[in-house]
Amino acid sequence: MSKATDEQTAPAEEQGNRPAAAYESVPGTVQPDEPGDGQAPRRTYELEDTGFREVPKRWRKFYRVWQGPGDSLAPNEIICPVCKVVIRSHREFRPGDRAYCMPCMSRMIVVRMPDGTLGAEVIYQ
Amino acid sequence: MAETDFLSQYSIQRWLEMCPQGYLDDTTYGHESGLTEPEDLLANDDLREASIALTVQLIAGERAALAASSGLVNAAPDHASKAFLATQTLDEARHVEIFTRRLIDLGVKEEDVDSTVNDLANPNLVKFAEVLLEKVGNGDFIAGVVGQNIVLEGMAFSVFELLQATSKDLNPKFAQTLAGTIADERRHVGFGENRIGSLIREHPERKADIERMQAEMSYHMLATFTDVFRGSGPTMDRERQAAAAEGRDLGSAEWHGTDVMAASTDDIEALLAGTVINEFKTRLGRIGIEYQDPKVPA
Amino acid sequence: MTADASPAFEPHQLDEEEFLREVHSFSFWFEAVEGYLEGRPYGADPELADEPLDGDDRDRLITTLCNYCVGEVTALDASSGLVRLAPNHHSRIFLATQVADEARHVEVFLRRLDDLGVLDGEAEVRARANPRLEEFRRRVLEMVDRGDWEAAVFAQNVLLESMEDTVFRFHASIADPVTRQVLEGVIADERRHLGFGENDLGRRLARDPAGRERLATIRAELDPLVLGSFDGVYRDLGLSRADQPSLGRDYLAAVERLGLTT
Repeated sequence: MSKATDEQTAPAEEQGNRPAAAYESVPGTVQPDEPGDGQAPRRTYELEDTGFREVPKRWRKFYRVWQGPGDSLAPNEIICPVCKVVIRSHREFRPGDRAYCMPCMSRMIVVRMPDGTLGAEVIYQ
Repeated sequence: MAETDFLSQYSIQRWLEMCPQGYLDDTTYGHESGLTEPEDLLANDDLREASIALTVQLIAGERAALAASSGLVNAAPDHASKAFLATQTLDEARHVEIFTRRLIDLGVKEEDVDSTVNDLANPNLVKFAEVLLEKVGNGDFIAGVVGQNIVLEGMAFSVFELLQATSKDLNPKFAQTLAGTIADERRHVGFGENRIGSLIREHPERKADIERMQAEMSYHMLATFTDVFRGSGPTMDRERQAAAAEGRDLGSAEWHGTDVMAASTDDIEALLAGTVINEFKTRLGRIGIEYQDPKVPA
Repeated sequence: MTADASPAFEPHQLDEEEFLREVHSFSFWFEAVEGYLEGRPYGADPELADEPLDGDDRDRLITTLCNYCVGEVTALDASSGLVRLAPNHHSRIFLATQVADEARHVEVFLRRLDDLGVLDGEAEVRARANPRLEEFRRRVLEMVDRGDWEAAVFAQNVLLESMEDTVFRFHASIADPVTRQVLEGVIADERRHLGFGENDLGRRLARDPAGRERLATIRAELDPLVLGSFDGVYRDLGLSRADQPSLGRDYLAAVERLGLTT
């Protein structure tokens, strides 16, 4: 499981993570927080390799196997609807974020599910 | 060795141990990470364009090999042959990928790759591929494997060896890329000879048709060599003259007893054609097929 | 944007073209399979002790593995035939990797049959093949032969691969240790295949919504063949209908995402 940090109390730079501004140059990917959007800053996470070996080494920490009943998703994790692998990010996911599932090659947008949890919708365009 | 034992040498497991876990381990697009095309090649438009034209022929040949090897899987009579052809399909896809990458490294934009290949692929090489792919399309396993694994691969094997000899000192990146493809081709020609030898013995009535195909493919191959050497000869001569004027030493590279860095393009063409044809004669002879000279000298 | 070496860079930051180039490449396949197949010749750790199976269990496992082979040979012949139909270079490279994956699956299942004492694996597969699965095979290869990319990708990479994925995952959860490891490696490969199929068709149908009706008709024809034959596999695994997991759930979810419900 990834270790959570909070940007309000633990700036990303201090956690060895990339500052949020570094993401702003990549439109349509993991979205930076809009200044003044009223939302709390996103929490950031240090990702550890959990032993998922189905993608090249440099990408492995961004995925893990869903363990079934008893497992739970952290705020920086969603389940791929196509292949059921858990997709992870350095930052908390929010609706509208784009995510990629490398094990099954799917592209998706993070959405809020009717039960309030985060899910993903596959995009084909 | 019994045929089943021999075929077990061509399993997916053995392929995994030999290639991803063997000679391709720690390579990126077939070469050590960090190697690039030489600066003087990239800075010289004449040389760069000649390299692009040459690389296009390699891509065209490998695309034909990919279409042929994948097309033969369904026609293969047993699982072991299907398994080998599956590894060959992947090998050929890798070759297409690494030569395509070289085209991009030489300055061709990714979106222009297909149009560049279509524009510059030699028409005789295209016809060479069409003869083979007609057999494959008809599900003719014996003719398809002879055309693919003996004629096409036999040609590629010698061409890659010649290019590797000339690149070893001047372009280590390209030489390393070629070394991996040569290692792959060795398996392909080996399978072709070993698997088809027994099938030809069982089906001697197929010999005449296969010999006709070989003669037709040989004709287009020789015509391709002529076109390519005619096209690259002036560039090669200019480069040699410029190197001599600047006091640069292009070095030497011996291939089949000839220093190909000093030989004329006519001599290199004759050496390459002679080497490939001798190889054809030997390999075809071993499987009971008599080499046929092309009807019209190229 | 191209892949960045900084530790905070993540795959979700790749631009879409770069992402597809990465995941469809030979290099990606190569490093991925190396990750989960290294040290597992023929799909299993050679040090892993094989559990002896009693007569009935052994016989049922043989029938199950024979039908897995039928499915995998179908996928091998179909995916190799699809290489020439691929619409672009990246799809062609991906399908070449799928050809090798499918051939490996046939190889590891035949090897497992050999471990179980089957003398002529290929003959046993022919003898125990489920007729519905054979009929499905014939239909898929017809689609490939007539150059129908969309129908063949749907039948093979969506329908067959989804069914196999569900069945293999369930079987892995109850199998003996060697069969489980073999299945785990196959499941890892299937993820790529079913993802490729769904995403390729999804992109095409987004551009050509009229294609949905045709694929929905094909789906209605093929469903009974595949669903029925995998139902048979569950029986061979010794399960009563009440114990069977919801066999087609993931497949039906994929069909719904693609808009192929009738």
